[in-house]
Amino acid sequence: MSYAYLFKYIIIGDTGVGKSCLLLQFTDKRFQPVHDLTIGVEFGARMITIDGKQIKLQIWDTAGQEAFRSITRSYYRGAAGALLVYDITRRETFNHLTTWLEDARQHSNSNMVIMLIGNKSDLESRREVKKEEGEAFAREHGLVFMETSAKTAANVEEAFINTAREIYEKIQEGVFDINNEANGIKIGPQHSPTNPSLPGTGGQGGSQGGGCC
Amino acid sequence: MEYLKSGLKSVLGGPQPGTQPTGAETVEKLVHRVTSSTLLEDRRNACRALKALSKNYRLEVGAQGMDALRQTLEVDHADCEIIGYCLDTLCNITSVENFEEEKEGGVRLNVNVGEQFTEMFIKNPDNVSLVLSFLEEYDFRVRWPAVKLLTSLLSNKPKDIQEIILVSPMGISKLMDLLADSREVIRNDALLLLIQLTKANANIQKIVAFENAFDRLFEVMREEGWLDGGIVVEDCLLLMLNLLKNNTSNINFFKEGSYIQRLAPMFVIPENIEETGWSPQKVSNIHCVLQLIRTLVSPHNPVQITSVCQKNMRNANLLEVLCGILMESGVPADILTETINTVAEVIRGNLNNQEYFCTVNAPSNPPRPAIVVLLMSMVNEKQPFLLRCAVLYCFECFLFKNEIGQQQVVQTLLPSTNNNSSLTTGQLLCGGVFNLDPLSNWFSSVALSHTLIENPAQKEQLLRVLLATTLGTQPVSLLHQCATFLQQTTKLQSKIGLLMLLATWMAHCPPAVSMFLNVPGAMAFLTAQSSATEFDNNEEVLQGMCAFLMGICVVFNDNSVPNYSKENLSQLIEKRIGIETYISKLSDISRNEMYAKAAKQPQLKAKYPNDLLLEFEFCKLFKALESTIVKTLGAQKQLSNGMTELSLSEQENGLLLQYKDVIRDQDRRLQELQRELSKVRAEHNDLHVQSEEIRIANLQLQDENTLLKAQLSAGAVHPLPDNVPLIENGVGDDRDLLAKIKQLEGENLEKDAELERLHKDQDDLLELLTDQSSRLNAFKARLRELGENIEDDDDSDVNSIDENDVK
Repeated sequence: MSYAYLFKYIIIGDTGVGKSCLLLQFTDKRFQPVHDLTIGVEFGARMITIDGKQIKLQIWDTAGQEAFRSITRSYYRGAAGALLVYDITRRETFNHLTTWLEDARQHSNSNMVIMLIGNKSDLESRREVKKEEGEAFAREHGLVFMETSAKTAANVEEAFINTAREIYEKIQEGVFDINNEANGIKIGPQHSPTNPSLPGTGGQGGSQGGGCC
Repeated sequence: MEYLKSGLKSVLGGPQPGTQPTGAETVEKLVHRVTSSTLLEDRRNACRALKALSKNYRLEVGAQGMDALRQTLEVDHADCEIIGYCLDTLCNITSVENFEEEKEGGVRLNVNVGEQFTEMFIKNPDNVSLVLSFLEEYDFRVRWPAVKLLTSLLSNKPKDIQEIILVSPMGISKLMDLLADSREVIRNDALLLLIQLTKANANIQKIVAFENAFDRLFEVMREEGWLDGGIVVEDCLLLMLNLLKNNTSNINFFKEGSYIQRLAPMFVIPENIEETGWSPQKVSNIHCVLQLIRTLVSPHNPVQITSVCQKNMRNANLLEVLCGILMESGVPADILTETINTVAEVIRGNLNNQEYFCTVNAPSNPPRPAIVVLLMSMVNEKQPFLLRCAVLYCFECFLFKNEIGQQQVVQTLLPSTNNNSSLTTGQLLCGGVFNLDPLSNWFSSVALSHTLIENPAQKEQLLRVLLATTLGTQPVSLLHQCATFLQQTTKLQSKIGLLMLLATWMAHCPPAVSMFLNVPGAMAFLTAQSSATEFDNNEEVLQGMCAFLMGICVVFNDNSVPNYSKENLSQLIEKRIGIETYISKLSDISRNEMYAKAAKQPQLKAKYPNDLLLEFEFCKLFKALESTIVKTLGAQKQLSNGMTELSLSEQENGLLLQYKDVIRDQDRRLQELQRELSKVRAEHNDLHVQSEEIRIANLQLQDENTLLKAQLSAGAVHPLPDNVPLIENGVGDDRDLLAKIKQLEGENLEKDAELERLHKDQDDLLELLTDQSSRLNAFKARLRELGENIEDDDDSDVNSIDENDVK
């Protein structure tokens, strides 16, 4: 239950690229082949370990449809990491990356780590976007890149964990202001001096938490 | 007011001699001043005056000043004072409430002025964004009225404002930041605003949760002193409730964020509560937090979410704390009721929690299990009605998907197991089923029926229960007693309760059905009720229930009672009631509004004792079995259709028999043909195999034949007879081939003969040749003798050939 850090993620990208499936594969380790349109936003969470530290990931999976775009924007500011997903079998989802990126950069805090993800790598025969193109786009815009398959689970863990590692490193470097919760990062309650279930605690104990780094 | 008037004078100049300006005129002048003055100071004063008039002359200020005010918000956005006046004025004219001062104005309109002005104001959504942007201004004179104005707009046009705020960039973030404002009044008003904003809008609820709402609210509650806190704590809880109600994503977030554990301090009840008493605010606060817990484990949530929340509550000792409140003395009845309902849902369907609940003891002497104490309240007429309902719900939840619990309760009723004199759950319930209070009958029947749900073993166990009704008489079975009591009691509620118990018991349990059928008068009672045509208030439910129980007797009948076999009962229904009437009686149940109410949620939602007739689990059973019963009756009817064949007319019957013959005949032929077909198929297969063999043999022979021909043409003829037996072995009885072979033999012989003839010819020719050459030599000799010179070349050649040939 206790964790050293809590990171907030959002998953963005065109509709049907597999955002919800990535989340489901990561949190529940299963794949749902039927496309169930996300309405608004759905929440998921999982604990991971980096450098022997427990890190809780809280992930908001957004709706890709244009109609929900303004709702999605409300989530940029408070997120520490974003997975920007496109579908390697649909060129247009790759073409829209620029729009997504602009939107994200405009509404998020400048330190947000963005991971570019080319999903559906299992559908090699229907590939429309080369891996090199994804790599080039990521290099050009300073993103981390990975191809994943929510169906076979290939690279899914890695995508979420590498993003967390990137954020973690930024914290170590002192780039993130960890006491500002608006950055999407929280310090775990285990650094609080007393049992959290007792009255009188419940604060984040940011100052004590600083000692862990 | 005097001060204001003097202020007005200073703004507008002295009153015109003779005439006192009307309110409308004053407002018009002020509005003009706001729009046309070049000096900020003048505009500011005019705005201040408008604000002062906006309560008394609300209509005028709103109608004439709206545009001017809006313009000022844009133009003078840097001046906190004037913005403050503008926002305050707008706040007054869009307010939901009517001001006392307003009434002095004389003009009374029935229309909602505030709502109309709100509509005007938000016609341009940018206006709302403008107000939102003022939230970022720290100055109290701006920020506070901005919050109030938004609240006012929201209460008039909630849906529209929600949509506008949802799409305005960072709109919700700005509102959330207000919770961190150190000025309590702003923070508290922001809370109220957020409560309005989050009502029934899942998207906003999720964003608010994403913006760390729970952390901030827990922080506020901690500062305010949890349960002891004032209305602010209640507001925090109300906002949390809004965020969680029917929002699984947020419930998931709440659970994952370990916020359940952080609710614990809310339940720390002061030691001296019995002296200080429960203040109304404390009661409200605890009600809210109980609601919050119920929202997390509501039966309407997805099962996996509810069960994880239940587990977390157990681990965070919340269940323990709640059970503690149950057993606490001096807790007000309504809190107690709500706590029972909460405990019910925290344990519902969760075996661990149910087991824990089972072990809770009341601090009485000697200690009694909490369940027993609660059931004692349920069957006690003097206890408040809602409390009794809550106990039943709690007991139902305790038994829900809990086979062990069901078994334990039934166990307490079985003979020989229980010798100690302490009161048991089973005894309490049995007593309740048959006592004089119809409500107790109903509660106890339903409670008892829950020990049987989806549990065939307990249905049979309960059949073994015997009751000693009066001294000296033979003990009768519980089921027998239920069926008898059903006929005896005059109270509708008791009857319905018993019918639900019997229906649950007998469904899928043929032994119970046959025991029921053996109770004297039981079937007659059901038939009489089901076939009755007139009824009083709600009696159609009773009749429907009787029909339903009859149906169960048909469907789950093992034909062990001779007079009431499946077929007999179906005919009874058909003859005495009529299928149509019967089915309409059945549907009377589901048509009743009591059914609709009960089927909605597991919890009993009755306000008055008379509202209790049907119960959730029974409704489920009814829904599942209604169609089965109708189908079974239909099938029975069709089965008995064999007899109606006799009732057909002669001609029809003849025709029918004719067709039957035709069909029989066709059937026979069909079978014959099929047999034949398979035989032919088998033969065909054999032949196919054979012909294949022959084909191969044929090929071999052809090869040999060509070989032979080749050998033949080469002149080296092998004696044929050597090969013939071989061929005969391979060929078997192939006549073609034999013929061919014979033909070939014939040819062979012919060719032999020809060969011989040719040899002969050759010999003849050779002879002739020798003849000729000897004659030639003779001629040559004679020619030489005659002195003729002959060329030797030719001669020697001819000679050499001759010599060769002769040799």
